[in-house]
Amino acid sequence: MTTNSADVNGIRDKAAIIGIGETEFSFDSGRSELQLASEAIKAACDDAGISPHDIDGLVRYEMDTNLETMVVQSLGIKNLRHWESVSYGGGAGNAVVGHAAAAISAGYCNYVVCFRAANLRSQLRLGQARNPSRIAGGQGVFAAPFGSMAPAHQFSLFVRRYMHEYGATSEHFGWVAVTLREHASRNPRALRRTPITLDDHQNSRMVVDPLHLLDICQENDGAAAIVMTTPDRAKNLRHADTLTLVEAAAQGSGPLNEGVIYRPDIAMSESVNTARDLWARANLGPKDMDALMFYDHFTPFCLFNLEAYGFVPFGEAKDFVQGGHNIRFDGMLPTNTHGGNHSEAYIHGLTHTQEAVRLIRGTSTAQPPNKTINRVLSCSSVAQLSAAVIIRRG
Amino acid sequence: MTQQQDQTIKSRPMTGPLEGIPLPDLDRLPDYERGFWEATHNNELRIQKCSACEMFRHLPTPMCPHCHSLEYLWTRVSGKGVVYSFVVVRNPVHPAIREKDQVPYNISLIELEEQEGLRVCSNVLNIAPEDIYVNMPVQVTFMPTVDEPNVVLPLFVPSK
Repeated sequence: MTTNSADVNGIRDKAAIIGIGETEFSFDSGRSELQLASEAIKAACDDAGISPHDIDGLVRYEMDTNLETMVVQSLGIKNLRHWESVSYGGGAGNAVVGHAAAAISAGYCNYVVCFRAANLRSQLRLGQARNPSRIAGGQGVFAAPFGSMAPAHQFSLFVRRYMHEYGATSEHFGWVAVTLREHASRNPRALRRTPITLDDHQNSRMVVDPLHLLDICQENDGAAAIVMTTPDRAKNLRHADTLTLVEAAAQGSGPLNEGVIYRPDIAMSESVNTARDLWARANLGPKDMDALMFYDHFTPFCLFNLEAYGFVPFGEAKDFVQGGHNIRFDGMLPTNTHGGNHSEAYIHGLTHTQEAVRLIRGTSTAQPPNKTINRVLSCSSVAQLSAAVIIRRG
Repeated sequence: MTQQQDQTIKSRPMTGPLEGIPLPDLDRLPDYERGFWEATHNNELRIQKCSACEMFRHLPTPMCPHCHSLEYLWTRVSGKGVVYSFVVVRNPVHPAIREKDQVPYNISLIELEEQEGLRVCSNVLNIAPEDIYVNMPVQVTFMPTVDEPNVVLPLFVPSK
């Protein structure tokens, strides 16, 4: 029998995350995106106990304005042996980590950095319409004239259909918001730390019905970086006591951003395919995960991911998040213990993988009590694009 | 009960196309997209239909994603369908929406009766957004945009 290549796990435990770093998060960083990138990468190297001069691999987000050459120049990298970029913004979250692990596994480089640095509040705000007055072709031609001009518009179409098919309500999404904010209230890095109630969520301004303001991630400035190497090298570095390994990774893509609303079943995200690949490669399942980091550009994606990755059957995530107990840091499935895009910071998913590392190290500000975290699923689903990694204790 | 949930306070219906927002540049569209707008200019809704496997498709593409034929016809459809999903935009993210006080407006995904999963993005007119619902029957209507009268939008109204 021929093995499905998609089920071969060529990266299993071959890359270790040795350092994480970030800038402060803000609504106006007051400095260039190159400076933010440089600071975050330096911080990740400091955490690892290496010099930025040791870096010889870079994986950037395609959306990032900092090209490899700029980072090489700024950090004085001596010999960049390997570089690549992963398409899109949030859609590249976790995918960059999988790519970096693959580069280490292949021996293309010794120390690889993934980073995302952006002034997404004081400069380009992705939540604002930025279309030209005339469109020369492409998906926008068939949506923008009807007022669909921002991510919240197209994603809300998913959410409405999902609510229709599975009976989820705005209050279910509200419990996600309340829980994420509670986690952020413990996190000094977080931009929004004042606890909220379900009433606060329900009374928050309706932005794109069915999404309230408190369903939507914030827009902010900041940068984050993750540095990886081989497990052998990691054993001689600063976090040698807690080896943090990339156990498996997977990605999936559907059609174009706007195109995705025309496919057969829009209430089901592409993560369903990604989840299948991830579990097959890892030879693991949702029951093996001690915590979940999901890309929370919009709160309903908590429910989508819980179902796509099989933590609960389809249609039952609404019951799982009800009251927030199950997804709290001290609950059955600690979820986004940093507060996520929603309340900590929106750095296109890299902070989620960082938090997975903290949970393994035991240094999260919402560390689950009386529970050792051995494996964390960090996943992102921007509906049509998805990616996931399993981070495990070595 | 919050104001948003109070169904007795209804928002104004949309009565025509939104103004001041991005529109297709008909002269620069690729041929496989232009036919849609040429048809709406004639008050017809025409959708790409593969000449080989006879599947409709939207968004338009140069190649049939089912059988990979390059041959297609802009085929007229009835314009009857149902609301597959919809949202109500209450926060303006485009300057023209803000300046011309055009919120709330709905963005609706209409599933056409000709083929399961065949959908177009549009707006539903003449109904308060609070009254729109999934599976609501609708019928196409055509209205030129204020900004570019050559661009005619296929919009929908509730069916009788």
